[in-house]
Amino acid sequence: MTTTQIPTAVRTPDVDPPSKPRRRQREGAAWVFLSPWVLGAAVLTLLPMAVSLYLSFTDYDLFNPPQWVGLRNYTQMFTEDPRYWRSVVATLTYVVIAVPLQLGLALVVALALKNMRRGKGFYRSAFYAPSLLGTSMSIALVWRAIFNDGGTVDNLLGTGGWVNKPGWALFAVALLTVWQFGAPMVIFLAGLQQIPTELYEAASVDGASRWRQFLSITVPMLSPVIFFNLVLQTIQAFQVFTPAFAVSAGKGGPADSTLFYTLYLYDRGFVASHMGYASAMAWVLLLVIGAVTAVLFRTSRSWVFYASEGDR
Amino acid sequence: MPGIRTRESWKLRVAAATATLAFCSVLVGCSGSGESTSAGGSVSLRYTWWGNPDRAARTQEAVELFEKKHPGIDVQTSFAGYEPYKQKLATQAAGGDAPDVMQLDYRMIDQYATGGVLLDLGEQESVLKTGEFEPGLLATGKVDGKLYAIPQGRGSETMVYDTTRWKAAGVELPKQGWTWTDWADAMRALAEKTGKPGGTDPGQSEDAFEVWLRGQGKSLYTEDKRLGFTADDLTRWWTFTDKLRREGAVSSAEQTTQLDGSVENTPLGRGTAFSEMNWDAPASGYLALVPDGVSLAPMPSNEDGTPGQYFKPSMFMGVAADTSHPKESAQLVDFMLNDREAAKIVGASRGIPVNESIRDEIATDLKDFDKTIYEYQAPFEGKLNAPPQAPPSGDSALQTTFQRDYDQVSYERLSPREAAENYVTEAKAELRS
Repeated sequence: MTTTQIPTAVRTPDVDPPSKPRRRQREGAAWVFLSPWVLGAAVLTLLPMAVSLYLSFTDYDLFNPPQWVGLRNYTQMFTEDPRYWRSVVATLTYVVIAVPLQLGLALVVALALKNMRRGKGFYRSAFYAPSLLGTSMSIALVWRAIFNDGGTVDNLLGTGGWVNKPGWALFAVALLTVWQFGAPMVIFLAGLQQIPTELYEAASVDGASRWRQFLSITVPMLSPVIFFNLVLQTIQAFQVFTPAFAVSAGKGGPADSTLFYTLYLYDRGFVASHMGYASAMAWVLLLVIGAVTAVLFRTSRSWVFYASEGDR
Repeated sequence: MPGIRTRESWKLRVAAATATLAFCSVLVGCSGSGESTSAGGSVSLRYTWWGNPDRAARTQEAVELFEKKHPGIDVQTSFAGYEPYKQKLATQAAGGDAPDVMQLDYRMIDQYATGGVLLDLGEQESVLKTGEFEPGLLATGKVDGKLYAIPQGRGSETMVYDTTRWKAAGVELPKQGWTWTDWADAMRALAEKTGKPGGTDPGQSEDAFEVWLRGQGKSLYTEDKRLGFTADDLTRWWTFTDKLRREGAVSSAEQTTQLDGSVENTPLGRGTAFSEMNWDAPASGYLALVPDGVSLAPMPSNEDGTPGQYFKPSMFMGVAADTSHPKESAQLVDFMLNDREAAKIVGASRGIPVNESIRDEIATDLKDFDKTIYEYQAPFEGKLNAPPQAPPSGDSALQTTFQRDYDQVSYERLSPREAAENYVTEAKAELRS
């Protein structure tokens, strides 16, 4: 794959490299310019994280001063709380259902749109729109109404409402996420357009079927983009909150079937006023997401193909 | 090169100014939201409460009257259903951003008062008068001798029913002194005659369970804030409701799971059942949903005739400890509870008033559903057992746990015995402190 050589520097600087004191002065200016963001990161991200880590070792009911309890929150979580494990199972099930479905649909639609000549802009916007709307509470509430007992889906299919059945509710929530495939779709589209057409031309000259071309050209050439979307959507799926909160009226029901991790975390923190326990849950979630991402990166070595590697 | 030098220091100054501005806005963003702004000399108060649209309309009217009488005070009201309200208020209170004036539940007072969220209203007695309140009910807003909240109304549990449709089904109407067996028979008869469940499955309701329990001389909590019942008691209750649900006499799990504290999402409100156990004040919300109107029946008694229901302070008003306008907030509370005109507007939408002279005065003027509630409560005067003490802090979480554990029963994932044991284990952990 050849790209046009972009000159590394448009023009060489015709001044001498700055002397030491001046460089220091410039560094100072850089820090001044950076300060809003550095301060923001420190005050709004790092400090709350540190506080949360501290709280995870305490019993804190929001109103009275935190009491140090050591690892009790963690041991209670893993050994004494059946609802915690139900939330873990619900979340993992959701990740395993929603992420592949969403990415699959995004890829299929991206492929369909890639070669479209007319109305491309319209369809792209139309498929992207749900991603903009979908994170809102209102759409989740509409979703609940549609899939409720007596709602549209019930009237059409006579299923008696999905959000009221423990076996179906999770699927209704997953469908809401799958429907918001716009963001990965746009990224797939961009990736597809990077694949040189000569490869396909050469393949068809050799008599490769479209399916063969898809498997041997599209997938490998697109694998970095697939990997990127996979990591991003998996991380997001682990943190699913809004749809389940709205669809189950904040309860994670029916019968804890949509009690996602973050929903239970919220429940422990703000309904039951166990902030320490909620903080401990948040840290476990952080570690799990970190571990899953690390595993994804590890496996990526065997299936993600970077075009530049071929040149080496 | 002096030219460059000046330009650089100028740049630095701009940078520093920008950074300072950005930093300030960050700080203001953090701390500013909680303050009530006073623009043009007027005071702005935030007043939040939970309830239904009927209560909203009446509250708004009363608040507008307050603003008219106190031209310098502007009141911003907001309301929500009970569950979201409870969660939002807890979040706000924890973040030091509690609204100036807030409606509180029996279950919140202990936690909020001991947590320093509420203002001692005793300090505001110059503007907030409590002389005409029933001393017994007023005391329910006290924690450690200080008055943190003032009861706003008096309520009792009731069984609301769709009068016309119940009669049309040809089933005998509920009467004073009926028992849980009579109630269950009525539910079965309704289901048999119409094919629809007679009422909402009360198994999910901690309130209904409490009435059942009290009829047997027990209580949800003991005086030293421990659990007042055993897994056996809860197993019997859930076995009783579970059986009725399986028979189709009360609402199915699919219908019950839609309950979120609003009357709109109850089977009675949605027209899929004939009755519902609820507090009497919010029952006015059914009027907009049940075209021919509803009646209030007493809660079933124990088989030996012992009533389990009681008069409870239906809700309270409190003021945030860190409000910038304690006096004006107390004025608003005083107005809502002691002003005669306000009382007429608000009526019994928050329960029958606790202020005795107002209660007597408005009794004759009460109209429509307010009159219904007043007449519903009248026969119980002096016949009910004393209300329990305010529930311990852990209870607000346990109320939700109760519903969730019963969910496991109604979806037939756990037996009543297993779910009851889960509940008791969690309750003991929750009440540990």
